Amino acid sequence: MRNRTMKMVVAYLLTIFILLFLNFLLPRLLPGDAILAMYSGHETLMTEEMYAELVRMHGLDLPLHEQFFIYLTELAHGDLGYSYICHASTADLIMGALPWTLLLVGTSFILSAVAGIVLGVESSWRRGGRFDKTLLTFMLLLDGIPSLAIGITSLTVFCLYFGWFPSTGAMTPYSGAEGIEYIKDVLWHLVLPLATLTLSMIPGDYLLIRNSMLLTIREPYVLTARAKGIKNRRIKYLHAARNAILPFATRIGIRIAYLITGALFIETIFAYPGLGLLTYHAISNRDLPLMQGILTVSVILVLLINIVVDLMYKKIDPRVGYAY
Amino acid sequence: MRRILIASLILIASAIICLCLLTPAISAAAEREVRIADKAGDWGNPSPYLAYSRGPGYVRMHFIFDTLVWKNETTGPIPLLAEDWEYSPEEDVYVFNLAENAKWHDGEPVTADDVAFTIAYMKEHPYGWTVLDSVDRAEVIGPHTVKIYMSGPYAPFMEDIGGTMPILPEHIWKDVANPMDFVEAGAFIGCGPFKYADFSKEHGTYRYEAFDEYYLGRPIIDRLIYVKAGDPQMALQHGEVDFADVKPDMADTIGGLGFVVIEGPHYWNKNLMINHNREPLDNIVFRQALCYAINQSEFVDKSLRGHGKPASYGLISSESVWASPNVPDYPYNPDKAKEMISTLGYVWEDGVFTKDGKPLQLQVLVSMIGVGGQPTPDRDGEILKNQLEKVGIRIDLTSLDTKVVDTKVINWDFDLAISGHGGIGGDPKILYEKVVQVPGAKTSPNTARYNKSEELNELLDDLMHEMDPEKRLAAVHESQNVYARELPAISLYYPTWYYAYSPDAGVEWFYTTGGIAKGIPIPQNKIALIGDGAMSGEIAEATETTATETGTAAEATPIAPGLAVIAILTAFAIVQMKRSNRKP
Repeated sequence: MRNRTMKMVVAYLLTIFILLFLNFLLPRLLPGDAILAMYSGHETLMTEEMYAELVRMHGLDLPLHEQFFIYLTELAHGDLGYSYICHASTADLIMGALPWTLLLVGTSFILSAVAGIVLGVESSWRRGGRFDKTLLTFMLLLDGIPSLAIGITSLTVFCLYFGWFPSTGAMTPYSGAEGIEYIKDVLWHLVLPLATLTLSMIPGDYLLIRNSMLLTIREPYVLTARAKGIKNRRIKYLHAARNAILPFATRIGIRIAYLITGALFIETIFAYPGLGLLTYHAISNRDLPLMQGILTVSVILVLLINIVVDLMYKKIDPRVGYAY
Repeated sequence: MRRILIASLILIASAIICLCLLTPAISAAAEREVRIADKAGDWGNPSPYLAYSRGPGYVRMHFIFDTLVWKNETTGPIPLLAEDWEYSPEEDVYVFNLAENAKWHDGEPVTADDVAFTIAYMKEHPYGWTVLDSVDRAEVIGPHTVKIYMSGPYAPFMEDIGGTMPILPEHIWKDVANPMDFVEAGAFIGCGPFKYADFSKEHGTYRYEAFDEYYLGRPIIDRLIYVKAGDPQMALQHGEVDFADVKPDMADTIGGLGFVVIEGPHYWNKNLMINHNREPLDNIVFRQALCYAINQSEFVDKSLRGHGKPASYGLISSESVWASPNVPDYPYNPDKAKEMISTLGYVWEDGVFTKDGKPLQLQVLVSMIGVGGQPTPDRDGEILKNQLEKVGIRIDLTSLDTKVVDTKVINWDFDLAISGHGGIGGDPKILYEKVVQVPGAKTSPNTARYNKSEELNELLDDLMHEMDPEKRLAAVHESQNVYARELPAISLYYPTWYYAYSPDAGVEWFYTTGGIAKGIPIPQNKIALIGDGAMSGEIAEATETTATETGTAAEATPIAPGLAVIAILTAFAIVQMKRSNRKP
């Protein structure tokens, strides 16, 4: 047992190290002079002195291995770097965007998971029936539409045509609203991006659960349960779904990276101030420290969630524990 | 159990929807407020050293900080902080008399000391927008009179420094050692028409409040707000903002909806960079032949769908007050181009020119080009390839990352590259900057670094240092003519930009002649927000009506969709409940 834990810890540490190294290296491999690239859009004249100063500030004058060492040391102190383009610490920028991403992506994770599981279970239970066929066709269709298209369509219809929802942002800036009014305002702004993101995630969850359920409901224990006269609802959700949910847990682990990348398009369309939009700006401005910071945070986040999912497996399905 | 589950789900869903129903769509306050949409949002803290050194960053800052002189929709310079000024050629000094009633936002008076201090401070801590090498020192000769000694004649002074350098309050900045780290409240104290109220980096929003004691009179609005919008035009149509940029193809539609559409002056230039160190591009005749082979109108029609204008070959925008009336033109004439190329020893063989058995082949680099801070995909490469292949030049079209193209151009590792830059409507200094490598500056991928014409060099020298306005204008005209003859780079076209605003907001926005400050082509000049008393009375009425209208429109918001969604959910739930007892 202890040996196994050790192995796991070593494996994770190694993964973190390799990822951090890639994280450090990749932005530096981007073609073109990093400093010129960062400031090329600026309309002011860059003098040789300013250039040298910027190179020094970004630590790009040091040899690569020293830069990496400094990066690791700073990271160990919790310092994610300083974005000279934004004149702000990378950690502050990320912390500013993270709550909005959590609100948007987190809520849509939960909504799409609940909807996906319920619809998937019901659909598989009635496999071949009209309900199943209609839902399956609809979901496959929905799965084929990129989230971008759903977002733009919903904007055009619900914002521009009907004018029901705001087109942009996470709240009405400087509305002076406080307390419950503020919460309402935030929720009102959340509706369209949340609906778009949820709609784009439901089909994946639904298809996974449905297929996984189709396998489990053929198991003899389901037949036994039915023979015993247990209520359908109980069989569906407690006997079959409980066992069908394992691949779904894996999917959650993988999809955590969506926190950052998945919502990128949607956050951009709706100008929602989350991590996706921050990433987009960092890349388009070639903001090296910010890009590196976001990547580092996402790497750590993904690994952490994976550890949690790893541990959860054993709770969800005790058989995993015996596999070692 | 199942019913409880479904019932609770419906309850939760209805609760959320009800919450939305009740959302009164927080309407614009009754105060006179103007909201402007922007796609990027964050352009840095609105303080001179902190705002990003791009046009929109300067615009965010210029509401708070005033310069000595300014520009409006006619011609500049017009008085701002300086009531009047005088240049004395004998001494090579400028004397500025400042407005006596000007105050900083913290109540302190603005004095000549502040101007002298700003110059000294910016010489010590270089400020990107104004290079003060041409200024020697400033001397205070009265509480509101300052004398600026030049280190040599510098013709672009009024626009480049007088009209761009924000004046800083000495009592705050004298203790600031590193301006880049200075983000305390004092960093936002200026003497402009608006006071800084808030900036949110994460939401990309700015808020300014009118400065009651502004020396040119209180602004006509109480509050100015910048909002980040995924689609600014949609935010405008939806009534969330009063001002936004609109897509060229939508300009007519937006105009038809009652918005005022401002069609931009043509101050941005798409151009073709030429490696004039390589054969055959080092030959003037060949470069002129290229111009005859290029059909500028085709670019405008196909690439911009008509929303643009063929460029002047003299670099300075044909709409600028500095434009030369007789810039050499190269009307589209492929036959003439072929004729000129054949004089260079090339032989026409099967539709391609060859020399010593080798075909005439050129590489064209294309990339996404940042236009107004937004990356825009290239649509011109293919058109150019077609046009040049018609005159027997084989083209190898290579699409690369912008930064790679920039690096290749800087290292002279290219034949032709499609590029672009602004600033062609402001001071003609741009001619100097785009032709010659400015000493001490990092090479810019838009600078031709052309040093082969003595005549052009001399004219550019006059353009920079001739203090007599008439003589300078003559030098500016002549340098454009020579530029168009020598062709260090070839100007292709000017895209047209459109902005729209709601007339109800009571502000008449306009394009600044030559662009804001050093030539920023954004129609958000603060002068539009400073009006006389009579004007603001009318506006007050107009705006109040809008505010009420917005209020009623907003209150009727999402009731209908909410009810619809509830109905659908309930129907679905009932069907589910009925079906729940059936066997699979």
